[in-house]
Amino acid sequence: MQKYKRFLFYVLRKVATYLFTIWAAFTITFFLFRSLPGDPVSAWAGALQQRYAVNMAGGSEMVEAYRKQFGLDKSISEQYFSWMYNAIVHQKLGPSFVNFPRPVEELLAERIPWTVGLLSVSILLAWVIGLLLGALAGWLRNSWISSLLTNYAVVISQVPPYLVAVMLVLWLGYSWRILPTQGAWDAQYTKGFNLPFILSVLKHAILPSVSIILVSVAGWILSTRSLIVNILGEDYLIYAEAKGLPTSQLLLRYGLRNALLPQTTGLALSLGFIMSGQLLIETLFLYPGLGELLARAIGAFDFNTIMGCVMLSIVTVMTASLIIDLLLPLIDPRVRAVVS
Amino acid sequence: MQVPVDLGLQAKPKGPDTLIDVRDMRIYYATTAGEAKVVDGVDLRIYRDEIFGVAGESGCGKSTFVEGLLRLIKLPGYIKSGTAQFFPKNVEGKEPDEPIDLLKISQQDMRKLRWKHIAYVPQGAMNALNPVMRIDDQIVDAIHAHVNMSRKDAIELMLKQLNMVGLPPYVANQYPHELSGGMKQRVTIASSISLSPDVLMADEPTTALDVNIQRIILQELKEIRERLGLTIVYVSHDMAVHAELADRMGIMYAGSVVEVGTTIDIFKRPLHPYTQGLIKSIPKIGGPRERLVGIPGLAPSPLAWPSGCKFHPRCSKAMDICRQVAPRLGVVEEGRQVACHLYETQPKVESENSERTLSEIKLHV
Ligand SMILES: Nc1ncnc2c1ncn2[C@@H]1O[C@H](COP(=O)(O)OP(=O)(O)O)[C@@H](O)[C@H]1O
Ligand code: SF4
Ligand SMILES: [Mg+2]
Repeated sequence: MQKYKRFLFYVLRKVATYLFTIWAAFTITFFLFRSLPGDPVSAWAGALQQRYAVNMAGGSEMVEAYRKQFGLDKSISEQYFSWMYNAIVHQKLGPSFVNFPRPVEELLAERIPWTVGLLSVSILLAWVIGLLLGALAGWLRNSWISSLLTNYAVVISQVPPYLVAVMLVLWLGYSWRILPTQGAWDAQYTKGFNLPFILSVLKHAILPSVSIILVSVAGWILSTRSLIVNILGEDYLIYAEAKGLPTSQLLLRYGLRNALLPQTTGLALSLGFIMSGQLLIETLFLYPGLGELLARAIGAFDFNTIMGCVMLSIVTVMTASLIIDLLLPLIDPRVRAVVS
Repeated sequence: MQVPVDLGLQAKPKGPDTLIDVRDMRIYYATTAGEAKVVDGVDLRIYRDEIFGVAGESGCGKSTFVEGLLRLIKLPGYIKSGTAQFFPKNVEGKEPDEPIDLLKISQQDMRKLRWKHIAYVPQGAMNALNPVMRIDDQIVDAIHAHVNMSRKDAIELMLKQLNMVGLPPYVANQYPHELSGGMKQRVTIASSISLSPDVLMADEPTTALDVNIQRIILQELKEIRERLGLTIVYVSHDMAVHAELADRMGIMYAGSVVEVGTTIDIFKRPLHPYTQGLIKSIPKIGGPRERLVGIPGLAPSPLAWPSGCKFHPRCSKAMDICRQVAPRLGVVEEGRQVACHLYETQPKVESENSERTLSEIKLHV
């Protein structure tokens, strides 16, 4: 009973932290963007004015009408509470400006599968590949394989991430024309569950996905390598070796298995940095995901869309790390002992 | 040799049965400051069914010596030279009396010998269990690495071993952090000998434990040995533990063996000045807690051993020859070897009939 209570307390504490973090992130983003000079309607009106040299003075009623529709006529605190109310109670995030008048939640729903598909697959692949290569580099720490992997990882972590993507686009996309460099599928295929479309989607995902993997694998290689080197000096590994276990078992069940715990936590932590990288990759490849939408929304001062994208990524990242926090007691008996 | 019958002393007609015969074993570490000669010429014979104690101050190379026999030395350490002939029973694909040189066989062959023929309990065995695996899984995987056996049979064998050291069956389902240090230690020792190995090498297995648990574990080891006829190589810096447990002992100093003999002989009449110092430094039970006047000076560095006899800077009996000529381990009397210029020795490595039984040792401790 006592055990059960303590575990419940652990879960409650994690959930409370989760809700608070989301609320804080939302509030900070909200006020940060509103404190910038400008709003979508004025930005749009200004652009029209410049482009067509029309005098908007007569159209100020129209501008006002738009401002009203976006709720910009109200005070900032009113806007804050009504945004929260609509988001939480009605799951409505307001009209977008970049794709007016479609509501933000619709735009997000459209783009989520692309981003999540590309990201989750690439990030998990990078994590798995990084762990395996890192374990190999740690196990054979005096071999050329280890120095090759370590050197690669060190170099990659020194160059800006988009450089890798640019190089890939230049070589594989433009020079050799092996792979498509823009969009998520070929327009000639009908969207849906048919083989040509799926193949086209996979083909388009290769370059952005490989760019993400090539970069993020580096960090996992370095951290796993050093973890494994430390684990190799542990008494339980020496004893396991003295038991006469085959090398594969030593490496996987005793070495990697113990490196898995810190690396799972590391995966949760790294989720927070994903969105920033995603923005660049999607913009570069004109990939119809959240990052590309966010980049356009920022350019157009589209508060509602910006808030929608930011909130969505924060909620996703926080949920993922909450899940990992709650899973940790399951994979580490010691954490389990502490929380229950 | 005179044999008092009532003590149960037996002299085998053909001499003791050698299990491991180590000659001139050297293990060096390559460091930026040069080669560290951590094990620097060890000569030892270990007989079947005895408890052999390896003694000496910390840092003299005891652990490295045992790790060398198991081929667990990692770079920058390496086996420089030497042989260690091992005479196990019933190794697959080998003639019964044909020895195996532990220092020369491939890692693959070594893997097959470990646990099944040479069991090892490493120093710091408190942390020898994988923190994220249940006890049963870590024992069954070792059994399965060597014999074909159903999981059910392997579990049964494991439970029998745990029971032998008085551990309840539920321990098998627990994780290491749920057990006390003494329990972990007993799990490690008991499971290590589940396949009846030829020899168990235990490196300071009780050092981190409190005295009572230490005593219990030593008692269990003695019982196991008497029941199963196991050979045990017991490494410890603690002379009192050897007095309680070992049949014969080897004293190591600066990477070599300086004296070998039965435990009773060594305690009654230590020959080597270093051994004499070690015995003087054993704290007396119930005596006043005072700074012990054991051995003056500091242990030398394996990067630069002293010339001649490596003990000469700390030896009160050092002579001129000691600074120039290294004394060789030689036989002074039946079953007694020493490496010191104070004694006339024969260059013979080992004599016969030096085996004594446990009951005799017990009487004197
Ligand atoms: N990687 C290494 N490089 C140099 N010397 C080492 C290394 N590892 C261990 N040693 C040396 O080996 C000696 C320890 O030997 P060890 O077998 O652990 O002694 P004991 O078990 O008798 O305490 C120390 O003198 C230490 O300096
Ligand atoms: S050889 Fe000389 S220095 Fe070495 S122990 Fe014997 S007497 Fe002492
Ligand atoms: Mg040691």
